[in-house]
Amino acid sequence: MHKIKLFFSSFFKKNSTKTVVTSLWCALMGLILGFVILLIINLNEAAHGMTSVLGNFLIFSNAQDRLNYFGQTLAKTAPLIAMSLSILVSYKAGLFNLGASGQYSIAALVITFLGVAVNMPWWLVIIIAMIAAMLWSMISGALKAFFNVNEVISGIMLNWIALYLVNGILTSSPTVWDAAHSEAFTISDTSNAHIPNIGLDRLFAGNTIVGLGMVLVLIVVIIIFILLKKTTIGYELKTTGLNEDASNYAGINKKKNILIATAISGALAGLAASLNLQNGFTSWTLSSTTPVIGFQGISSAFLGGLHPIGIIFSSYFIVHITDGGSMITDLGFSPEVASIMTSIIIYLSGFVFFVKEVMHKNEIKEELNKIKREEEKRL
Amino acid sequence: MIMALSTLSFLLAYISVLTVTALGGMFSEKSGTLALSLEGCMTFGAFSAGIAMHLLPSSMPDFISALLVILIALISAGLYSLLLAVACITFKADQTLVGTALNILSTAIAVVLIKQVTKTEALPVGNSRLNFTRFYEIFNVDMFGIQGVKFNWLTIIVLLLIPIVYLIIYKSQYGLRLSSCGENPASAESLGINVKKTRYMGVLTSGVFAGLGGLLLITMNAEWEFANGANGFGFLALAVLIFGQWKPLFIFLGAFVFSAFKTLSVVYPSINFLANLGISSYFYLALPYIVCLIVLVFTSKKNVGPKSLGKPYETD
Repeated sequence: MHKIKLFFSSFFKKNSTKTVVTSLWCALMGLILGFVILLIINLNEAAHGMTSVLGNFLIFSNAQDRLNYFGQTLAKTAPLIAMSLSILVSYKAGLFNLGASGQYSIAALVITFLGVAVNMPWWLVIIIAMIAAMLWSMISGALKAFFNVNEVISGIMLNWIALYLVNGILTSSPTVWDAAHSEAFTISDTSNAHIPNIGLDRLFAGNTIVGLGMVLVLIVVIIIFILLKKTTIGYELKTTGLNEDASNYAGINKKKNILIATAISGALAGLAASLNLQNGFTSWTLSSTTPVIGFQGISSAFLGGLHPIGIIFSSYFIVHITDGGSMITDLGFSPEVASIMTSIIIYLSGFVFFVKEVMHKNEIKEELNKIKREEEKRL
Repeated sequence: MIMALSTLSFLLAYISVLTVTALGGMFSEKSGTLALSLEGCMTFGAFSAGIAMHLLPSSMPDFISALLVILIALISAGLYSLLLAVACITFKADQTLVGTALNILSTAIAVVLIKQVTKTEALPVGNSRLNFTRFYEIFNVDMFGIQGVKFNWLTIIVLLLIPIVYLIIYKSQYGLRLSSCGENPASAESLGINVKKTRYMGVLTSGVFAGLGGLLLITMNAEWEFANGANGFGFLALAVLIFGQWKPLFIFLGAFVFSAFKTLSVVYPSINFLANLGISSYFYLALPYIVCLIVLVFTSKKNVGPKSLGKPYETD
């Protein structure tokens, strides 16, 4: 009995457990508050609406439909995982990549031209898109490294510049622009630029959107995990992120690290665009706001406890409820309810550090009390 | 003539929107809290005012309805900004993270609830675009009595605010305390200033100002698409704030420069010379942001911003 108790107490003291517990708490609170909003809007249909949001594809009665939509949810998860990794890498290096939307936009521009007009092989499109996004991101990096410009502010400015640049170029290029629908032509299933399905359509009831992208992104997760945990570059990035002065003192080149971090995170945002636009599901749509995936990446990166593996689950969760949210229009709810839930989750993630700090303080207090009691006993 | 005056009224309105929001942001940043959620506060104020404009009965006298709408915009945006204050000041949360969350949250809430009030039998899902022609006519009067040239009188309130803000920041005890909390909170505390309370006041002021900015922004037209939030004006105001180096008069100047470009992107097709250049309208839209980036390059080296901006204050 004592052993079990000991096991549990040490289990809850582990840092990774604390992260998982606090993340789950954030997700739960987000869902509960979202439910409250549904209740306010329509008392009778709220439970029904919540089931749709949480159930997503599970609410279909037909097994084939369920599989098909599950495949779609997975396919949409892949780009979000890449985006979250982008946020994660920069955050570990002490930077906040709020410019991910802009990097995504630039990559989308490249993908649309190379995929629709040139019909280039898919892997080459991915590589070029990643390079384009990387270079765009390094503008922020260079401004930070050489001119001390805050990367959050330059990132926001670059988001808008990229948005107008991409909109301006695409809308005036009839070869790639479908003016009737105000969107770029989608890369079709038969195009060279379409990421191969590798036979997964048979697994997911004919769904051709899901494919190699899912596998690719998992490989990238492992690469980033190893990069941050096992390599010198990763170690230096994290050291810069933790304490700038100390890392300077230790002879780590701060400027070089800023450039490396922005390059990697930019390339990952570009990968997100490839995984989103090269599967034949969607294309660049004319909008007067910057792509929302850049901000969703922030929520899943933090909800995933800022850990590459955690991000896989948090990204899936966010896509799952966002997709589920798009199904509640039939009930008279607006799909943005899911967006309310995710933003509440990001908001609450801000408190995670505080909660952890309190947990830590309580532990120390407990330890001290224990020592005191033992001493009293001895006396 | 009418063209030139319309351009002028557009310009004035844009200047006012950016000035009032950036001035609000200045209160928050001077006290040490990053004003990243200006966009969210603008959206929240605008949306609350929008709901009020939609629901207030037309039998209510114009003056009282206008006053109510203004109050609702100010109060709701102020309350919304407290979400930032609680997270960042009391719970020491990451200011960039929370600011971003609040920006997304307000647009999402606005869309969900605006769709709720615009729901009809024929349109069961509702519409995120809201029309408020009656209030457009209340807030906009004919400029110099000339028909066809509209002028939003909220602009005057904003222009009157500039000297007041200047006096508060530089001449009042409150203004000096505010700045000291953003520069060196530890020594401010040692002089008996309540750092957390002062920072709360800074954030609250930024919210209230942004609420006025949001209301002015949407009442420039007779309708507004809430899915676009505040259309990026909150971020533009943030740029103006940095461009203006956290000084009220420079902020006004920055707002003028940015508004000139913004106005250009609206009116350039009717100016022959510019229309003939054949430059895409998107270029004019991007210009203010490009200018801001260039200005940042020249001003950031010196680090003129509040020294403790973005850092939570540790009491223990």
